[in-house]
Amino acid sequence: MLLADARLPVAGHTQSGGLEPAVADGLRDVPGYVRTRLTTVTRVDAAAGVVALHHLRQALPLGAVEAAWAARTPSLAMRRTSRAQGKALLRLAVRLWPDAPAVAAVAALDSPSRPAVLASCAAVTGLGPRSLARLVGYDDVQTVASAALKLLPLDPADVACWVHDALPEVEAMAEGVAGLTSPDDIPAAGAPQLEAWAEAHARTTRRLFSA
Amino acid sequence: MRDPFASSLGCAPRALRVGVCGPVGTGKSSLIALLCRELAADLELAVVTNDIYTDEDARMLRAAGVLDPDRIRAVETGACPHTAIRDDITANLIAAEELEADYEDLDVVMIESGGDNLTATFSPALVDVQIFVLDIAGGGDVARKGGPGIERADLLIVNKTDLAPYVGVDRDQMVTDARAARSGRPVIALSRTDRASIDELTAWVRHQLVHHRDGVLVPQDPGPMAPHSHGDHVHVH
Ligand SMILES: Nc1nc2c(ncn2[C@@H]2O[C@H](COP(=O)(O)OP(=O)(O)OP(=O)(O)O)[C@@H](O)[C@H]2O)c(=O)[nH]1
Ligand SMILES: [Mg+2]
Repeated sequence: MLLADARLPVAGHTQSGGLEPAVADGLRDVPGYVRTRLTTVTRVDAAAGVVALHHLRQALPLGAVEAAWAARTPSLAMRRTSRAQGKALLRLAVRLWPDAPAVAAVAALDSPSRPAVLASCAAVTGLGPRSLARLVGYDDVQTVASAALKLLPLDPADVACWVHDALPEVEAMAEGVAGLTSPDDIPAAGAPQLEAWAEAHARTTRRLFSA
Repeated sequence: MRDPFASSLGCAPRALRVGVCGPVGTGKSSLIALLCRELAADLELAVVTNDIYTDEDARMLRAAGVLDPDRIRAVETGACPHTAIRDDITANLIAAEELEADYEDLDVVMIESGGDNLTATFSPALVDVQIFVLDIAGGGDVARKGGPGIERADLLIVNKTDLAPYVGVDRDQMVTDARAARSGRPVIALSRTDRASIDELTAWVRHQLVHHRDGVLVPQDPGPMAPHSHGDHVHVH
């Protein structure tokens, strides 16, 4: 089963990975946008997921990981989006693995982030930290790519090429965060322009995507 | 152990979830506003809207002043209105559950789909009953075109019947065609200016609520394609 699959019923179709407000503000370089995310917000998410996975495997409490993720995700709109996506994924994880301690540990948190919920899925399925980080990166690229097809006049084959060409960067990002274990190690790689777009999008009354 | 009914089915205490779908502009929001006006005096209500590009539906309902604005919540569908009510209902389910959590004594949650085409219907895992709305001004032949919503939604509304004389549609013929397409399932010829039709609609909703509370309401799937029957009979409420 693919966790980074648009067919997973977790409301992925409501997400553009922040692309919609970026495009509304004139952005056209989608591959560049994807790269920016991979080195900033997506890297933070992947690192938080990896550290959460370590904590789940060691049966350590997750509060500090969540706090570190939140501190490195300064946009309230982005934190809300992540928690809403976490809720959707958790709903599915509880149905799939109702007895799994890792899922129960995350479900016990107050509005867990999406990286924390993904980490619980990784813990149950035996996915390693590098695979988890790769999944976060790949899923983000695909989310932006499929939203791009709705937002811009594009040839879907070109978009598939963008995804393909971003894979080495996904891999590099995953490799960079795979060894992390402490909340303090989660990179603080803010992206003020992405955050500003996310905040603007949360306030607009015209949008196709929730975020 | 997995409980296949954990999320949505078989929980009689939760609110009745009523889906309202149908093509763009057929009067879904108006019908919901009408039901709010008619039922709010003695039932606790809330609404989830699925807007395509704006929060127009939610705003219109809030502006109508028929419900506390916080009881009207919009979900985005990422340009996939069909997906949001059928194949991946997560965003809608979460919105309905949050409303039910915030307002514990809710009786009915109405979910308006984004105006789509004739093939869009709700998953029975999202709504307990569904209403499909057609506009008489959309043409008298639409009822004959069929499709899962027209043929098998729990209730078909032929709406805005007051407009029939202006658009050259024979109201009674359209209703007859609709009934013929539905093997006995109910059809209501509705107009906001026709008191009797409004009473018929509210009676139908109240009847569904009684069924729901008695635990005998089993969500029916209009299905995406060919008609089907459950066992030996077609289920009619
Ligand atoms: N004459 C007449 N007009 C009606 C009636 N019901 C609704 N309308 C009008 O039909 C138009 C569309 O109504 P809406 O309720 O916005 O339709 P909708 O199906 O929610 O539209 P979308 O959400 O855009 O798909 C509005 O101008 C309403 O005032 C009716 O019974 N009679
Ligand atoms: Mg509407």
